[in-house]
Amino acid sequence: MQRIKLVFSVVLALVIVGVLVFGPRPGADRPKNRVVVSYWEKWTGNEAEQMKQIVTDFNNTVGAEKGIYVEYLSMSNVNQKTLVATAAGVPPDIAGLWDTQVAQFAAINALQPLDELAAVHGINEEYYKRVYWEGCRYNGKLWALVSTPAAVALHYNKRIFKESASKLRAAGLDPDRAPRTLDELDHYAEVLDVFDNRKRVERAGYLPMEPGWFLPHTSYWFGGGLFNPKTQKFTLTDPKVLRAYEWVQSYSKRMGKASLTEFRSGMGGFNSAQNPFLVGTVVMEQQGPWMANYIEDLKPKMNRWVMSKEEEKRLPTVEQRRANYEWAVAPFPSAVSGQENVTYAGFDVLMIPRGARHPKEAFEFIAYVNQQGPMEKLCSLHCKNSPLREVSEEFIRNHPNPYIDVFETLSASPNAHGIPPVPIWPEVNEELGVAVQKVYLLEATPEAALRESQARLQEKYDRFRATQLKRENQDKVAQTR
Amino acid sequence: MNRKDWAQLGKGLGFLSPWLIGFFAFTLIPVGLSFYYSLCEYSLLQKPLYIGLDNYRQLWADPIFWKALTNTFYYALMALPSGMMVSLGLALLLNADIRGQAIYRTIIFLPSLVPTVASAMLWLWLFNAKLGLINNLLGKVGIEGPGWLTTPEWALPALAFMSLWGVGHTVVIYLAGLQDVPRELYEAAEIDGARSWRRLWHITLPMLSPVIFFNLVMALIGTMQVFAVPYIMTGGGPTRSTYFFTMYLYDNAFTYLKMGYASAMAWVQLLIILCLTGFSFWSSRKWVHYQSK
Repeated sequence: MQRIKLVFSVVLALVIVGVLVFGPRPGADRPKNRVVVSYWEKWTGNEAEQMKQIVTDFNNTVGAEKGIYVEYLSMSNVNQKTLVATAAGVPPDIAGLWDTQVAQFAAINALQPLDELAAVHGINEEYYKRVYWEGCRYNGKLWALVSTPAAVALHYNKRIFKESASKLRAAGLDPDRAPRTLDELDHYAEVLDVFDNRKRVERAGYLPMEPGWFLPHTSYWFGGGLFNPKTQKFTLTDPKVLRAYEWVQSYSKRMGKASLTEFRSGMGGFNSAQNPFLVGTVVMEQQGPWMANYIEDLKPKMNRWVMSKEEEKRLPTVEQRRANYEWAVAPFPSAVSGQENVTYAGFDVLMIPRGARHPKEAFEFIAYVNQQGPMEKLCSLHCKNSPLREVSEEFIRNHPNPYIDVFETLSASPNAHGIPPVPIWPEVNEELGVAVQKVYLLEATPEAALRESQARLQEKYDRFRATQLKRENQDKVAQTR
Repeated sequence: MNRKDWAQLGKGLGFLSPWLIGFFAFTLIPVGLSFYYSLCEYSLLQKPLYIGLDNYRQLWADPIFWKALTNTFYYALMALPSGMMVSLGLALLLNADIRGQAIYRTIIFLPSLVPTVASAMLWLWLFNAKLGLINNLLGKVGIEGPGWLTTPEWALPALAFMSLWGVGHTVVIYLAGLQDVPRELYEAAEIDGARSWRRLWHITLPMLSPVIFFNLVMALIGTMQVFAVPYIMTGGGPTRSTYFFTMYLYDNAFTYLKMGYASAMAWVQLLIILCLTGFSFWSSRKWVHYQSK
């Protein structure tokens, strides 16, 4: 027994020593004589791998030339991890977060302003589409630059439109195009709805709550907004916002709450082959440009309606290529006549947390990503539009989404809206999400739901501002002492 | 104390030091700091701004706080008694001397081994209004099942029902307690002509009462802190009908970055759990019977 113990101990000790001596070392693959820039990114899976290609491109070109090496780490919950690391004084040099964090993080002093660094690289508002540039700014300063952007448009199933052509024509609607006004959208939806003999929904022409990600922003299509930066007041009780919520509720009233609830329960998740748009149980929906990639992954047949991909690639124009897709994209129609190309444009950002050790080198990478070439490569890989004003013809021609020009037009439109510059946006988003749920579940009238949200959010925001002011005054007093 | 005693104390503390350091660094100091932060406006990256009892006042006036608290109490009221009764009932059945007893015990315990996320995903499908097994079975007997997780009226009861899935651990503790009941008490009762119901009421339950009490306190603490399953399955919806206390605390701390407010919530939660546990201990004098007494 003693001998077994001895042998076991010796083997264990040898293994430990072996691992310590010959085992993996952190950063062993880092090239020497280069400044290592740590970059934490929220994307996982394909999107993470695609961003890695851009990192590798940088490390092999500009990075090698300027002596910078970007160490890329993809992770979940990156916003919380970045915040904790920043509080602990060991933040990454670059954090890949969301636009929703720009004002929130800037307000609590978690970020480094980028104005000076951007000026050195000649990056200014002329370079970007307005909506994205504005979204990177808060309180008169630049806090982030875009990594990939998006815009929201109406996606519709051309095959179902074709199959329902006679019904649509009988209702005075054109089956060969998308609805152009919101009233028309409602009309198309009603004609395309299918109910079973128990009056249960089997197919919905359109559902505002599917996928429902952009519901808090519905008022944009009604000419309304959520917040007035000049008065620093929320505008949720504005009649335009009210109309938007009434419109959402009209679908529940028309189709029946119980029937809709059951119908929606049977839907598969977005990233599944049972995605309701992919299986045709929802004919039209609001989506972003990434949808083309998801369709290619989950139901490639929809991207090969008439011919094979090889044959499609031989077609000379994008317009001709579009015939090979079972689906199409158009601007989501507005309720206000004359208001065209309305969209909600959210985006991903690259930021430099406060206390980052290599801000200049970090910005070299951010500036590289924001050059037209790398940006178009990344946006093509992620199947998104470009945030830059200038877009190459190749980008449009070779993009995996044959309708990318629609998204380009939408994001460049004066009616493109981002999230308002409110540091308490996560609370606003949550509150609006609950309000819209109450409305479509017929738990409250739009007026009551919005009045409640308005009061609660304004109180929270006023308190937030009062605290910030108190803090600023305290800092001033401390400085004068 | 002489020199030798000091030396021994030093040695003792030295051996205890890993635990002591861990306790001070990761429990006592953070708990103390959380109380201080509960009196501050604190967003992790700015200096805490002392605001006295303002966070507690705000909590008192916050309808979402009350909604989350009420939901938690409703959930506890549904999940706690049903969980206690089902686990005790199962333990009594599994304690019967029948063939294949070990297999039945294993089957009952198995769901407890399924990771939380996996069981949440499984129950999401079971509760699916259109395709779910539960509504399909109800449909076979002519009952039209509701949208379990998609209607505000049913979402909370559905989660309470789902909590029964994990009673395996409690059943095992009851089973251990049942093995401990002296046989001679049953024999004496049988001689006196007591039937099974009376034996259960007058012997099993009183003898098991310390175990019941232990399970009650643990379940009470557990239900007041319910988080992972509703966070995964409903995210607090629809219309905050399954938004629980700990979820609101988490959101305040990590989504809204209001660490001071979240700390105040944590202290209120501690106080509530302390009161309920204290009440349980006080009431236990009347219904918990220890063999040694």
